[in-house]
Amino acid sequence: MVPAETHVEQSPMDRQQVFELVRDQLADILEIEPSAVSEGASFADDLDADSLALIELVEAIEEEVGERTVGFRIEDEDLEELKTVRDAVDYVVAKLGSNAGN
Amino acid sequence: MSGPIAVDAMGGDHAPEQIISGARRAADELGVDVVLVGRGAEISDTLGLDLVEASEVISMSEDGAKGVRTKKDSSLVRGSELVRDGGASAFVSAGNTGATVAAALLRMGRIKGVSRPGVATAIPVPGASPTVLLDSGAMADCQPAWLVQYAQMGSAFAKIRFGLDAPRVGLLSIGEESSKGNQLTKDTHALLKELGGINFIGNVEGRDVMSDDVDVVVTDGFTGNVVLKTLEGGLRTMVNAVFGALSGPDVGDAAGEAIGLLAPLAVELDPDTYGGALLLGVNGVSIIGHGSSSATAIVNAVGVARDMVDADVVGSLAAAVRA
Repeated sequence: MVPAETHVEQSPMDRQQVFELVRDQLADILEIEPSAVSEGASFADDLDADSLALIELVEAIEEEVGERTVGFRIEDEDLEELKTVRDAVDYVVAKLGSNAGN
Repeated sequence: MSGPIAVDAMGGDHAPEQIISGARRAADELGVDVVLVGRGAEISDTLGLDLVEASEVISMSEDGAKGVRTKKDSSLVRGSELVRDGGASAFVSAGNTGATVAAALLRMGRIKGVSRPGVATAIPVPGASPTVLLDSGAMADCQPAWLVQYAQMGSAFAKIRFGLDAPRVGLLSIGEESSKGNQLTKDTHALLKELGGINFIGNVEGRDVMSDDVDVVVTDGFTGNVVLKTLEGGLRTMVNAVFGALSGPDVGDAAGEAIGLLAPLAVELDPDTYGGALLLGVNGVSIIGHGSSSATAIVNAVGVARDMVDADVVGSLAAAVRA
């Protein structure tokens, strides 16, 4: 088991990996099949994912991504703008890109 | 029971000294393994207990969810993680209730199939087993389906906690008739009537909470918290008034006798006696102690935590919502 303080260098996640992470975590949280989560799916309208599900999702993403990129955080204020799975994936990819630049 | 009971050393009005004192007493009196979680710099003496370091503290006044999201090294978050990762079998905190619920939700996770967790508080009923009030403050606004799960989980919990065979489950409303109430209670009543698997006795009212006519009172977190605080304040005022009347300068010897007879009742009515509330619906035992918890309250809370772990309450709750 890797202690929390140790940062293990891994290659940055590509878009497909980010999508699979979001899809798999969402499927787990909503207790649905991963195949039911498409990029175009709307959280509220298609997936019935409420505010709690979104908080659980960002926590899970932060934990997963945080193992590769220390200090990765999703701002709660930005959550309101994330309406679809694609929005979430684009957001994480963009954040990872700006992290890499620091 | 595997794994120690983790106690949040930083939570509550009397932290850390009273909390640590209670944790030490629990270890000695109950023979339970206890570990503290907290900020070492603020703790002068752990009384020989192991300490899991957590550098941040979520204060009582902070927004709970925000606190958990931004203070990932807080004692509440670390304590919940210990249970998730198997380092502790249960977690006890007298700290920020909203943050304790959020930490349990985001670290232990919801039991499969549970929509929302709820806080189950024991309300004393003199001469009878306490009434379980659920939800007493986790979810201010609820949907009918969540209350149905509270009924199922509350029933399973009451069986384990108070040894009841078929706990009488009532839906808190403003009248006994199913037509009485707000939209939430009317919709929930209709679902509970068709449910099966629990002993649903229909609507109950506020005055029934402390009676022996019901064992589990189901309600949304806003209403439940109002009921809880009203009863706490009312009981405290009454107890103080009665003892005050018996302590005046002109009372005779009979007053002393009366105080002796009433003292056990005062203990029965004291929230400290019940060892805190259990958060139902998460994958672990998370005990929410009163903010004013004394050392004695912590001892009782650790005892309840141990009992709930030994009885596999989480397994029973999971089975209850699958039914």
